[in-house]
Amino acid sequence: MTGATDWITRVDGLLSRLSCESLIEPVNVERLREQLLAAAAAIGESDDSGARCLADRVRQASPAVSPKNVDTIVKEVLSGWEALREGAPPPVVQAPDEDLAVLADDPEMLGVFMGEAIDHLGTIESLLLQVESAPGDVKLLNDVFRPFHTIKGNAGALGVTSVQGVAHKVENLLDLARSGKHAMGSDECDVVLKAVDLLTLMIQELPARIAGEPFTDVKAQCRGLIGAVDALIAGGGRAAATESQAPVVAALSEADGGSAPQRRRDESQSAVKVDTRKLDNLVDMVGELVIAQSILAEHPVLLGSRDERLSRQLAQLKRITSELQRNAMAMRMMPIRPTFQKMSRLVRDLGKKSGKSIELTLHGEDTELDRKVVEEINDPLMHMVRNSVDHGIEPADVRKAAGKPALAALRLRAFHQAGNIVIEISDDGAGLDTEKIYRKAVAKGLVPEGAPMTPEDINLLIFQPGFSTADTVTEISGRGVGMDVVRRNIEALRGRIEIQTVRGQGTTFAIRLPLTLAIVDGILVGVGDERFVIPAVAVNESLRPAPGQVHSVQGRPCMIQVREQLIPLMHLAEAFGVTGARQELGDSTVVVIEDNDRLIALVVDELLGKQEVVIKSLGDVFGHVRGVAGGAILADGRIGLILDVSGLAALMGKSTLKPAA
Amino acid sequence: MEAMSGRHGAGTPAQQGAAALAGKYLTFTLGTEEYGLPVLKVREIIKVMDITQVPQVPEHVRGVINLRGKVIPVIDLRLKFGLPSQEATNRTCIIVVDVAMVAATVMLGVVVDSVSEVLSVAASEIDQAPEFGGRVVTDYMLGLAKVKGTVKILLNLDRVLGADREFVAH
Repeated sequence: MTGATDWITRVDGLLSRLSCESLIEPVNVERLREQLLAAAAAIGESDDSGARCLADRVRQASPAVSPKNVDTIVKEVLSGWEALREGAPPPVVQAPDEDLAVLADDPEMLGVFMGEAIDHLGTIESLLLQVESAPGDVKLLNDVFRPFHTIKGNAGALGVTSVQGVAHKVENLLDLARSGKHAMGSDECDVVLKAVDLLTLMIQELPARIAGEPFTDVKAQCRGLIGAVDALIAGGGRAAATESQAPVVAALSEADGGSAPQRRRDESQSAVKVDTRKLDNLVDMVGELVIAQSILAEHPVLLGSRDERLSRQLAQLKRITSELQRNAMAMRMMPIRPTFQKMSRLVRDLGKKSGKSIELTLHGEDTELDRKVVEEINDPLMHMVRNSVDHGIEPADVRKAAGKPALAALRLRAFHQAGNIVIEISDDGAGLDTEKIYRKAVAKGLVPEGAPMTPEDINLLIFQPGFSTADTVTEISGRGVGMDVVRRNIEALRGRIEIQTVRGQGTTFAIRLPLTLAIVDGILVGVGDERFVIPAVAVNESLRPAPGQVHSVQGRPCMIQVREQLIPLMHLAEAFGVTGARQELGDSTVVVIEDNDRLIALVVDELLGKQEVVIKSLGDVFGHVRGVAGGAILADGRIGLILDVSGLAALMGKSTLKPAA
Repeated sequence: MEAMSGRHGAGTPAQQGAAALAGKYLTFTLGTEEYGLPVLKVREIIKVMDITQVPQVPEHVRGVINLRGKVIPVIDLRLKFGLPSQEATNRTCIIVVDVAMVAATVMLGVVVDSVSEVLSVAASEIDQAPEFGGRVVTDYMLGLAKVKGTVKILLNLDRVLGADREFVAH
């Protein structure tokens, strides 16, 4: 059968190319394809009318003057079919030298093709995971089928026959599935997912191939895959009759509307890829426009004007600029959904490999993160998910013995909290064995014997390089690389990891990431000549201190009593060395901020208002300034520093001011 | 730059160094001293604007400014060179330059007393920076240019500022 497949692929490719060169009407190409399949089915029978008919049709479908291409295809059709019928190897065994000349000549076309194909493959991947939990859903299968068909068509038209061949084969399987002739069991999904991986690799390596650089030889893999699909199709009739097995891993989504996948694909199809630098420049310029607009709006001449038309137009200008700003800002943000969906795939594969049944639930996939963060968070997240599946979740028998359900729960959650974006990975597995970690750390010489450590400190040791408590090294993890990389990557994003674990009940890893380029709702405060922005989410309340509220220690005001609570005071002017701040506490304002249940009373001169600001990095040259999350361009064009609340808390710990015990 | 490594040797390497240094320089003053910057390093010259202080940085880092929507750090060259600081006058300028720091090339603002002119300096006018002894660091000098009876110190800004990879001491 393989020979026949190749023959079909080859002819199909030629047909696509003919239609691409407008030699055949697309409608006719579809008809010819049907004929082609019919002819293929007749291989082995003495009747060669199918092939002849096909050849004739090709001639008819082409313009009267038969170009060389049409001759080629007619010859191909007839000789290939003839050879197959006689059982001899077909003339073209497997599209030997692909003609990449079309793509090599047109880098732009290559880019478009690659971009589209990779997008499609992403869509297919996430849809397939849904297919696994709802194998009979014809609409879903159609949604999977269509992008495959598009990839196949495009690849054929551009002469990338290797991609076309694989896509075509899988398309056949999906076609059977959507017409109800073949059930999509988990084996089928496996094969299709493998095909997605293979195609992704092949497409990603196209530029290298065109440039003549080394690339992965995937011929054997292609053949293997095609064989696997053939085997599935051959055994398909029986599979359709039996009820398909319950899926091993079901990716459940909180907000799972039936129309969601459709909508997403439409979005990706109308997307334009833009250099992030261009985007940054746009955002910067829009920011300046907003400032220019607000300076104009405050202009005394305009304020004093009684011209109604002028003020109407100014209001219009303001509306447009702020709308423009909102849009520009939104462009850099993207939901974490695609990253989470990759994790569903990972969990599914890991679950199969390790024989554990895991149910992954996703929450907050629509939480938007800065593009850069989304890109950077992928690897650490993958490591942590691996780690949870391999070390956290116990094998089913152990779970049963512990009285837990055999189906393990893994949860990914993304949300905003206190000016941070938090991504949580929780499992209901064994939890961390603090005792074991400590012993291992001592054995490896990471901590001295008998060192006093809190359980939290000990748990954090798993992020040390070379640390692994797994007794066996598995294919998935346990080599002691990974978790330290995770921590490094997250720290590079200025984030941090927290661990909560209960022995026997599970572990939650929380990755806290600052909003690097997110818009932050801020409270603008003035201290001396400087102005600072405090993220509004961190602000509990603000108050004018009454004389009786403030308590001094050694002659310095150190504490403020708010209702029943004593809160340590932090003088922002002192902490940041700002001159010209108000000296009398009675004239100042106190802003109570919260970081991880810890309260700090920040002493500032005055509250200036609430404002949405864009966090801009101060630049690499400043490294990490403690207590400062970045800068914001304020309404008058000056820069105000945005306070980093947890950094302030850390600064406070270092100062002489101690919080109340 | 490589030619400068032959500082102690006389003759050919020095001449080569001077030839490589010939070109256009933007000259500016700090007190009574005159300095020159390779003009290709200069992006623009702006008037002094409000500078936002940043905590925990060395004294010579004045803070950050908003350059048309971009946040860029500002260095006071007087303080960097150990000269007494001075109130801004109407001649005080910020020269925006590209500086190659360890990690990447960054845009920086440099506060100077006044900007003079763009000067073409010929190879014959350039002398190597002599050794002044321990009190003066000559590392960041490209050379000395004797033009119209004055001496201008040609600066290698990458050396002046690139040495501190980050401004914040941890």
